[in-house]
Amino acid sequence: MLSAALPRPIRRYFDTWFDAHNPSSRDAILLHNRRLYILPTRFGYLFGIMLLMLFFAAINYQNSMAFVLTFMLASLAIISLWHTHKNLRNITVGLQIPRPVFCGEFCELKFKVSHAYNSRRFAIGIQYDGAAPVYLKLEPESGTTAKLKIPTAHRGQFKPMGITVFTRYPTGLFHAWGWLKFDLPILIYPRPTANVKLQQSMVAQYDGQISTSTIEGDDFAGLREHRLGESLRHVSWKAYAQGKGLLTKTFQGQARPTLWIDWQLLGAGSLEDKLSFMTALVLAAEKEEQKYGLRLPGTTIGQSFGSAHKHACLQTLAVFRQSDLNQEFTLEQD
Amino acid sequence: MSKTNHNLPIRSISRELASSSSVFAVCFCFLFSIAPHFRNLPAWVIIIVLVALGWRCLENLGKVKALPKWLLVPLVLFGGIGVFAQYWTIVGRDAGLALLTVMTALKFLESQRHRDLLILVFLCYFLIATHFLFSQSIAIAILMFANLIVITATLVTLNQREDKILLAELLHTSTRLVLLSIPLMLILFLLVPRVPGPLWGLTNEQRGGVTGLSDHMSPGKISSLVRSNEVAFRVDFEDAIPAQNSLYWRGPVLAQYNGYSWSQSPRKAVRRLDLNASETATRYTVTLEPNGEKWLLALDIPSKLIRHSFMTNDFQLVSRKTINDLLRYQMESRLAYQFGLNETREYLALTLEYPDKVNPGTIEYGRSLAERFDRSEDIVNEVLTMFREQEYFYTLKPPALGSNVVDEFLFGTRRGFCEHYAGSFALLMRAAGIPARIVTGYQGGEYNKVGNYLIVRQSDAHAWTEVWIENKGWVRVDPTAAVSPGRIEQGIDEALSDETSSFRIQNRNPIFGNLLYNWDNLQHSWNDWVLNYDQRKQMDFLSKLELGIDNWSDMVFTLVILMVVVIALFWTVTRYRERPPKPAACEILLNRLLQKLSKRGIRKGPAEDTRAFLERLTAREFPQTEQLADIVELYNRIKYGRQGNSQSALSRMRSMVNSIQV
Repeated sequence: MLSAALPRPIRRYFDTWFDAHNPSSRDAILLHNRRLYILPTRFGYLFGIMLLMLFFAAINYQNSMAFVLTFMLASLAIISLWHTHKNLRNITVGLQIPRPVFCGEFCELKFKVSHAYNSRRFAIGIQYDGAAPVYLKLEPESGTTAKLKIPTAHRGQFKPMGITVFTRYPTGLFHAWGWLKFDLPILIYPRPTANVKLQQSMVAQYDGQISTSTIEGDDFAGLREHRLGESLRHVSWKAYAQGKGLLTKTFQGQARPTLWIDWQLLGAGSLEDKLSFMTALVLAAEKEEQKYGLRLPGTTIGQSFGSAHKHACLQTLAVFRQSDLNQEFTLEQD
Repeated sequence: MSKTNHNLPIRSISRELASSSSVFAVCFCFLFSIAPHFRNLPAWVIIIVLVALGWRCLENLGKVKALPKWLLVPLVLFGGIGVFAQYWTIVGRDAGLALLTVMTALKFLESQRHRDLLILVFLCYFLIATHFLFSQSIAIAILMFANLIVITATLVTLNQREDKILLAELLHTSTRLVLLSIPLMLILFLLVPRVPGPLWGLTNEQRGGVTGLSDHMSPGKISSLVRSNEVAFRVDFEDAIPAQNSLYWRGPVLAQYNGYSWSQSPRKAVRRLDLNASETATRYTVTLEPNGEKWLLALDIPSKLIRHSFMTNDFQLVSRKTINDLLRYQMESRLAYQFGLNETREYLALTLEYPDKVNPGTIEYGRSLAERFDRSEDIVNEVLTMFREQEYFYTLKPPALGSNVVDEFLFGTRRGFCEHYAGSFALLMRAAGIPARIVTGYQGGEYNKVGNYLIVRQSDAHAWTEVWIENKGWVRVDPTAAVSPGRIEQGIDEALSDETSSFRIQNRNPIFGNLLYNWDNLQHSWNDWVLNYDQRKQMDFLSKLELGIDNWSDMVFTLVILMVVVIALFWTVTRYRERPPKPAACEILLNRLLQKLSKRGIRKGPAEDTRAFLERLTAREFPQTEQLADIVELYNRIKYGRQGNSQSALSRMRSMVNSIQV
């Protein structure tokens, strides 16, 4: 944190200034002059120290060629400052809304980088918060895509922050960079608890209304009164022959019960554990192709089935009481 | 509530492992920078360099394993001890270079990461500076630029982060960087205020291998020097150049004689010069090439001191520091003079000494001269007449002589070079009771008509004598002039034209003579403008510009202004050259439409196609949807249609966009 060490008013002023100069954007960001920053790298400082040594040696020995070399290298540094800045100037970077992932997985950010100038750009890096960067190269008046995988540690919906696009080309003495603040959501679902199976007993525990007896299925469950309109194929003719009247065979197991994944039924446990468990249940239910609904305090999602429904449920779980989280996470909270 | 978290991303991105191609590039870069130094390095250092680089390359190819870390410590110790054993020091020019080279070579063995390679490249930049401790010639300057381009190209490779190295492109980039730096460098060179050095003590290193005058003279010493074509110094005269036969450049004065060689008496600085001289002084500027010794050359007889120098009692101008770098000084001399009238008895006694065991014939003859003549002048003339009228020859290839050198020369071979004549003449004088001493230095010089200055080479080296005569003081007598008047009147070249190829540019190369004079003139200007650009020269230059820049703050101010102007110029030019192509007129119109809509709060989604956006707008959002659809259709026709960019369609589109009301 650059501003962490500063006194509070100065820090607030700095943050305001910074936000004003680096507005977040829904569209692609053009890195114009005012969005670019440049500072010497560690090697730049080392180079500076070397130049000072050379300069004092030149004075001491009154060696003119040593002066020439010192000034030549100093000029080279100035020229490379300009070239580094030029290498990054007026590049446009856009971000596609990333596919949601589960917490703990890598979130893949796909950038579209382009420029409209007839110069070539080399070694442009995109970096997320100190992680290993990806590098790309731009031909004149062209664009390319770059993928950056970032690790996720917390569920929730975030805006991507802490993404920088930078370059050190050509000499590595300077680091020019711009902050990329996109006003796009990154959705991270809770981490699903491992090895959760949608067992009958558990489902029953969560949902008393589960209808266990249907006329279709594998395991024979018993006989009941034949209702008008039921197919005669399900009638137990054996029982009828025994004079027990028209009875319908019922089966178990192959049934597709609808169920509620209910916060209230989870009992004790931390918020995150519960959400993880519910996430796992959503996935399991979806996998077993059962209709399910979600009940969270204050939110209910009706019983349904399918990809869209699953994402709606997972999103609800992801952002549930997100503000309670004490997150040290560089993706900005939405 | 938004919480901003902006980490400075300047962290070590360079901790990554170095790529294979970059290792080769840095190996080559180091070899390229160090190769010109191979003649200044001991053989074992060169072997270490080659082995270390070879090992690193093989390791890179996967042929050998990386050296274990623990092995590096003894290797570094070995390198340090080796250098110490070679030079008995680890500082100073030669030892320092060897140490830097060995350590850099060993650093290669442990360089696995990107940042190690960057540091090695910086060391290569540093190595360039060491060349200038050996020479600062134009050739070395050109080598510096070649080195800069190669090293910068290596630096660019390291930062380019491509697996493939495109050599031509790299060299193009680095040459561009270097060439663009030159204007800024010139501004800095001319305007950064110079400080007189040194800042800390300099070791007074004796450096071997420099041709020049020596502090003693024995037969064959000067004739070996004469074979060298190297420039000893160059002289710019303020007025006309004096006649050739008065161009005696005074160097070491040798007053001690041991029967074989002449050497300097202990130097004593004098406070008052014992000199009666003409009023007219000859003023000139000497640009002295480094001679590794302390003597300064001046026309007989110098009447001025320069900084860090003193005059000895035998009128020798001596620097307090060893002259290891080019030295430029303003000097004045009196060509008509009398000096040493009140010479001390001790010194006169010293200049009469000679061992009487060797050269008995010469001593006998000298003593007989003293009996025959009363006046010292007559004795001098007698001997000179002998040299002139008898069969004495001036030659660069005298026959070998035995133990009684002077006897054998005077009465036997009679062939010799200036040191034979001067040495035997001085001994004869001493035997005859006249105080005498040898003066070594240079005689004559070659006039460069292109630059109007005098070039004095090692081949102009000469030895003559001074005898002390009552009421006249020390008088210059040049016995060589008696034997070979041409040596003094026309110079060494005429006198020895049969024996050696010419030293003079004009004679050596009649066709390209002018070109060579120009080249020498270039070197002279180089010395003047580059190597001697010190505080005084800087002030002279700035006052000649008449811009009123005469102090530090003015210089720094001008410097900054000029730098800003140059960079702004570069900036403008590249901005113009790399400008983006102008968007087509129809695109501009479409963008104008989008801006209009956004004023109303209707914005295009991210990454949404503009036309699709315009078409999806419903009447509820924007009432003029029909006009929008027309504009899109027209745009499509202009952009993709047959008639292309027709002016009428464009103007129609313009009026349609203008008619959209927000």
